[in-house]
Amino acid sequence: MYSTYVVTRISNVLIMDRRDFIKHSALASSLFFVPSFVKAFEQVASGTLGYKRLVIIQLSGGNDGLNTVIPFQNDLYYKARPVLGIQKNESIPLNNEVGLHPSLAPLKRLYDAGHLAIINNVGYPNPNRSHFRSMDIWQTATDANTYSQTGWIGRYLDHFGKQPYNAIEIDDSLSLAMKGETLNAIATQDAKAFYNLAREPFFKNITNRMGDAHLSDHNLGYLYKTMIEAQSSAKYIFETTKTVSSTKIYPNDAFANQLKTMAQFINAGLETKVFYGSLGGFDTHVNQLATQKRLLKTYAEGIEAFVQDLKANNTFKDTLILTFSEFGRRVNQNASIGTDHGTANNVFIIGNQLKKQGLYNNLSNLTDLDESGDIKFEIDFRTIYATVLNKWLEVNDAKVLDKTFNQLDFI
Amino acid sequence: MDRKHIQHLYWRIGFGIAPSPLALLAKKNKKQVVDALFKASETVEPLKIDTTELETLMAAPYEDMKDNMRDFLKLSKEKTKELNAAWIDRLATTNALLREKMTLFWANHFVCEDNNFIYTQKFHNTLRAHALGNFKDFVMAISKEAAMTKYLNTKQNKKQKPNENFARELMELFTLGVGHYTETDIKESARAFTGYGHDLKGDFVFRERQHDEGNKTFFGKTGNFDGDAIIGIILENPQCAHFICEKIYRYFVNDTLDEVRVNEMAQVFYADYDIEKLMRFVLLSDWFYEEQNRGSKIKSPIEFLVGIKTMVPVSFNNAKQELYLQKLLGQTLLDPPNVAGWKGGRSWIDSNTIVLRLKLPSLLLNKGYISKVKQGDIDAVAEASKAIFQKQYGKKFATTAHWETFNEHYKNVPIQDLKSYVLACDMHKPANAYLDGLEKTSKQDYCIQLMSLPEYQMC
Repeated sequence: MYSTYVVTRISNVLIMDRRDFIKHSALASSLFFVPSFVKAFEQVASGTLGYKRLVIIQLSGGNDGLNTVIPFQNDLYYKARPVLGIQKNESIPLNNEVGLHPSLAPLKRLYDAGHLAIINNVGYPNPNRSHFRSMDIWQTATDANTYSQTGWIGRYLDHFGKQPYNAIEIDDSLSLAMKGETLNAIATQDAKAFYNLAREPFFKNITNRMGDAHLSDHNLGYLYKTMIEAQSSAKYIFETTKTVSSTKIYPNDAFANQLKTMAQFINAGLETKVFYGSLGGFDTHVNQLATQKRLLKTYAEGIEAFVQDLKANNTFKDTLILTFSEFGRRVNQNASIGTDHGTANNVFIIGNQLKKQGLYNNLSNLTDLDESGDIKFEIDFRTIYATVLNKWLEVNDAKVLDKTFNQLDFI
Repeated sequence: MDRKHIQHLYWRIGFGIAPSPLALLAKKNKKQVVDALFKASETVEPLKIDTTELETLMAAPYEDMKDNMRDFLKLSKEKTKELNAAWIDRLATTNALLREKMTLFWANHFVCEDNNFIYTQKFHNTLRAHALGNFKDFVMAISKEAAMTKYLNTKQNKKQKPNENFARELMELFTLGVGHYTETDIKESARAFTGYGHDLKGDFVFRERQHDEGNKTFFGKTGNFDGDAIIGIILENPQCAHFICEKIYRYFVNDTLDEVRVNEMAQVFYADYDIEKLMRFVLLSDWFYEEQNRGSKIKSPIEFLVGIKTMVPVSFNNAKQELYLQKLLGQTLLDPPNVAGWKGGRSWIDSNTIVLRLKLPSLLLNKGYISKVKQGDIDAVAEASKAIFQKQYGKKFATTAHWETFNEHYKNVPIQDLKSYVLACDMHKPANAYLDGLEKTSKQDYCIQLMSLPEYQMC
């Protein structure tokens, strides 16, 4: 299967023949004729959006939060998980009662430095245990009984964004979270490939000749306008980031590559307020131990390299990393040494501007579960979104979430 | 019938029309052309993937089935992909164009998905069976589909503990639109849908013991209503006809509503909720063919993809590639975002999708090459460029394009007339001027140029 990367790399071949090269040089001298509106699109968003950035990491499939942040003094935990329960001496203790999964040593180091906040029992009323629907709820930030065609970051762009690249998903296509009513984010894993695809000379020749008059309210005008924006975004992202490369060594996996690309974009000073990345495979119905061990290792090692990279470039102070999963898993282990879909889960907040570090609230004591045997939610995930929007991105959160939520005090 | 009108008709109820069939239809009048469309869609031909293996797994005793669950779900996933490919193939090759396009429309109205392929396929064919039928029968059938009772939790809707999910979406998304009911209406109607369930095969089962036999007060009426009765009461509200007609108008006519036309449609539809009558009314009207409606809509990813195939049949050597393309373009059949469906219109287009859309025809049909040779020049780089493409990406980007079909259909079209067949709207002057300044090296290369324009995204 090819990726967009491959699709877009194709343009390299087509552009780099000599004839086109000459044509390009000729075009360069005609830059004076570029209509004014093209320049307007190309203008870098001004500083009014602020300099802080949000990085969202989605753990897809439903990470088992109870084996991620472990209540090793709770007998109910071991009773519910005779095989799956992680023993106290295996876990990495945070205090006398709670430890991290053995794969999370890098996170423990962030914890020790005061760069990690763990918010427990995060969920929403009337939880849905379907992957699709629960992820949909997290991405659209709606109530469990309403459906939205826009995502929360998309609506952030609608209200406060100026350019598509104000939010970037490191992927081939956009998640619903990143789609707004009037503005969508950009999905890219490779700035150069995207640039090469967008600057196909044929497209440039068509759009270069467009006048303002054509950018009407009609659909066709909208297509031209979006194409011109795409060309200038692709150019802006590529040219701003091409000279920046990381000296840090990242683990060699797809997730770390996403983070490396993000760090490159951040360290280059790209006017991007929100980055979105994901790590999948957490749906551990069967033989959970090995799978989760591997995935959390990938997560934690990637994040640590990412944080170090940002620190080395003095950008960590302006970056907040939010990690979530669509749901936690059932407290009781199942017959296949795995766990089934559950509800409330923990959320990680990483940054060096945290007001409340470490455990934000207590873990569930596991005595008061819902009728399916799942952890009851204590903190609505949208209060976290509201806090991040309001206190970190410094915008009116109610506009984005269509509702007012309590503010938390982790930042 | 006017050629432009026929082309418009075929873009909206299909995926475009080739010059040779167009020439034949041009000899007929509008009524004959439209009648023929309905005639061709009279019979319902279900789309079916072989499910024997799944049925065998399902027929096993309960305890075995539990163990087989993972295999079953995995196989279901594979079968869903097969149905996806078969559906696209059907769209590109069917004679029952109108029924198939309506099925595609309804799939984004009664939005549903399921992890059991047998139920997915059953639901899918229910859409096709009712696509031109009676809307009331349609809603009732949908309410009893196994996949839907799972998707919107009617299955969990029991007398002792009602689940309002289906009742709410029935009114908000399927029949009336938001704001035309109260929370009490939802609560009361949810009680009427208690006891809905299905057997293993996916056939509807009414579980009497879980059904609430008490009186419900709904839209001012009181009685021991069941689900069908509730649907009947909803449809008595003219708002339902209006809501559906708005959606049909947006999909088949224009993104921007014309209230006068929608009201005319709603009047026709409200009489007996006959979908075929409504569509006949629309397609036989004069306003459907008016200039402001022609070429005014942005193709959905599926309309775009199937449109390409209608012009130049192209197959993917690896079916996964076609699936992945749908994802990149933002519309994977049988995998909707949520019950609200795809938003459509301008929301199909963003920085990523516009760039991919403009590049895709050349990638699929012409080894990535778009000719940019000035008039009078010779295209010296085309072959070399294609060869490099083939060498570098030939394996990863393996398609077979049947230009011979295109050549056959377009053989009587002079090259300078090609654009009136490829594009549904007029070209912007600057693009037109640029293309006019290029050498028309071959019909194939010119066709690729036209398909690489924003104008080609319109229908």
